[in-house]
Amino acid sequence: MKTAQKYAHLALSWVCIGMLFSCHEDQDIGLDNTYQFIRPAHFPEPVYTFENNPVTKKGFELGKKLFFDPILSRDGSVSCNNCHIQGTAFADAQQHPLSVGVEDRRGTRNAPSLTNLAFMKEFFWDGGVTHLDFTPTNAIESEVEMDESLANVVKKLKAEAAYPPLFKEAFDIEEITSPYMLQALSQYLAMMVSADSKYDQYVKGEAFSKEELEGLALFEDKCSACHAGVLFSDFTYRNNGLSDTFPDEGRARITEFAGDIGKFRVPSLRNVALTAPYMHNARFKTLQEVLDHYDTGVVDSPTLDPLLKKRERGLGIALSEDEKTKIIAFLHTLTDRTFISDTRFMNR
Amino acid sequence: MKSIQLLALSALILLFSACKDDELEAQTFGTFEVEFDNRVGSEAISLEEAGSQNYSYTTASGQAFNLSLFGYYISKIKLEGPNGELYEDEMKVSPHADEVKGFYQVLQSEPASRFIQLENVPAGTYHRITFTVGIADEGIQDGAAGGILDPAEGAWFWNWNAGYIGIAMEGSAQNSGQEEVVGDGWTIPAKSFALHVGGWKDVPAATGEEQRFVNNVKTISLAFDSGVRVGEALEPNAHIVVDVLKLLGNVDFSTTYSVHVPKAGQPFAENIPAAFILDHTHQ
Repeated sequence: MKTAQKYAHLALSWVCIGMLFSCHEDQDIGLDNTYQFIRPAHFPEPVYTFENNPVTKKGFELGKKLFFDPILSRDGSVSCNNCHIQGTAFADAQQHPLSVGVEDRRGTRNAPSLTNLAFMKEFFWDGGVTHLDFTPTNAIESEVEMDESLANVVKKLKAEAAYPPLFKEAFDIEEITSPYMLQALSQYLAMMVSADSKYDQYVKGEAFSKEELEGLALFEDKCSACHAGVLFSDFTYRNNGLSDTFPDEGRARITEFAGDIGKFRVPSLRNVALTAPYMHNARFKTLQEVLDHYDTGVVDSPTLDPLLKKRERGLGIALSEDEKTKIIAFLHTLTDRTFISDTRFMNR
Repeated sequence: MKSIQLLALSALILLFSACKDDELEAQTFGTFEVEFDNRVGSEAISLEEAGSQNYSYTTASGQAFNLSLFGYYISKIKLEGPNGELYEDEMKVSPHADEVKGFYQVLQSEPASRFIQLENVPAGTYHRITFTVGIADEGIQDGAAGGILDPAEGAWFWNWNAGYIGIAMEGSAQNSGQEEVVGDGWTIPAKSFALHVGGWKDVPAATGEEQRFVNNVKTISLAFDSGVRVGEALEPNAHIVVDVLKLLGNVDFSTTYSVHVPKAGQPFAENIPAAFILDHTHQ
C-alpha cells in the first residue's frame, strides 16, 4: 500500500512539473554558451532588455548576416560593416573620418565603435536613441548613409530566398517584420563585449609596466572624472572645447536646451588606440593630438565644460609631454585583441 | 500521507488556475466601446488629397485650411466606477504583431480605427474614462515592437530622437509659408503644413536650469454624465469628440507649417486636454 501511495505521489509530482512547463511556450534556447550574453564579473549589470530578446545562436547568426548584408541599403552598396569594422573595434576605417554612404555621400559625424552596447542607455553622439533596437534604423533611413526605408528593407528580405527560413529558425515566425530584424541585429550587437584588454587583466591581478602604472595614475587624476568606471565613460554630454561655433549642435538637438549646444557624449575609451580619428567631427588623427588639445587647444564658449575651466591660467587640462606619453601608454592597455579577433563576429 | 496528497492536489489546482487566469472566478464581464469622433469645430472631417488648395475649414483666427491626414495614438485606457470598479486595458509591447496590446492608432482615413473595443471589462457601473494621447516611455523602452507600433507597417516613429509621434495633422493652408520642395522621390507641396507632435522624455529641470526635453504625451480623464453599466448582454459606448480646431488653437500657418521636433509641438500638445471632449455615452 505504502509503495502504491509513493508511486501515486510520484506520478502526481510529474503531472505538476509537466503543468509548470505547459504554461510556458517551448523556447529553443541554445545551450551553447558561446551564444549567451555573459556579463564580465567586473562590469555593471547590462541595461539591454534581454528578457524581451534572449540571445540564441540562430538569432545571433541572423543578426550577423544582416550586419554584413548591403541589402539594407537602397542600392545594395552599403552594409553596417562599411562603417563598423571589427579590426577597429567596430569603429570606421581610419581613412573614413566621416562615414561614407550610398553614392559616396559623406556623413556628418565619425562612426562610433560598437563596443559594450548592452551596458549603454543612450546611443549616438547626441544620445537621441534610448534603446539599442532602434539604432540600426537611423543608419538605414539616413539619406547620407543607407538611404533606404525600413519598410522596403523588410520587403527585400521577404523576397530574398535565404532570409525567411532564417527568421523562422531564429524567431519561429512565418513572415519577416521589422522588429524581428532589429532584434536579430541587437542580438549580434549586444554580444559585442570588450572586457579582455591588458587593463582587464590588470584588474584581475596581472602586472602593468612602470609606464602603464604611471599612466593609469595620471589618467585617474586628469581624465577619469568624465571617462569614468570600467566602461571609461560617465555617459554624460559635454562640450570639450573643440570650437566656439557649433554647426552640429550635438546634445541640444535632442534636449532642445540652449545650455546643451556643442555638447556630445563622452565616448567610452575602450579600444581607443584602434578607433582614430577622434571626436564627433573626427578632428584629431592621433591620441597625441587629443591630449595636446586638452593641454593647449581648448576653446572657450558658453557651454564649455566646467571641468575644463579649473586651471589657474588658461583652459583645459595641464599635461606635460612626459605625462601625455604615459597616459597614451595606459590608453593602449584598453586595446582588446581577443575582441577584435573573436571569430564569432566574423563574416564567414 | 493524506495531507501530502491534499497538498499535491491543491498545488495541481493552483497550477491549473494560474494557466487559465480568472476563469474560475465568479465575476462576469462585458464589453465597452470607445468611439473617437474627429471634427473640425462642428463640422465632420473630409480629407483632401495632399497639396489640394480646396480649403474647407477656418481656424479660430480666420485662417483657411484643409486636412489630408489626421490621427493620433491612444494608450493606457482605464475605466473607473463609483464603487471601486476598475478596468485597466492590458498593455504589452512585443515584436509579435498579435501580442502588442493596449496601443491604438486612430486614423481619420481608416473609419474602423475610430472604434476601440474593450473586452473583458468587469461587470459594474463606470463613471470615468482615462487614457493617454501619445506613447509614453513604456512603449519605447522595451525595444522594437510590431503591429501598430512597427514603423515598417506605418507607425509614426522618429528615428533621430527615438519615439512615436503622438498626433499628426497634415494638410494645406491658404497662408502657409511652405514653399514647394522636391526631393529624391518625394515632394512637399507648396502651401502645405505638417504638424507632428511627439516627445516623451519626462525629465524634471535641474534647480535653476531651464527644462530639457519636452514631454508632449498627455493623459486625459473624462467623467461620464451618468454611470454606464457594463455587463454580459450590454453594449455600452462612450462617444468622444476630438476637435481639430481646438488642437490647432491660434496657429499661424504663415510661420508654423513644419513641426517635427518636440518643442515646436508643445503648443499643440497643450491644446490636447481641451480638444478631447466627452460628448455622450450610450447604455
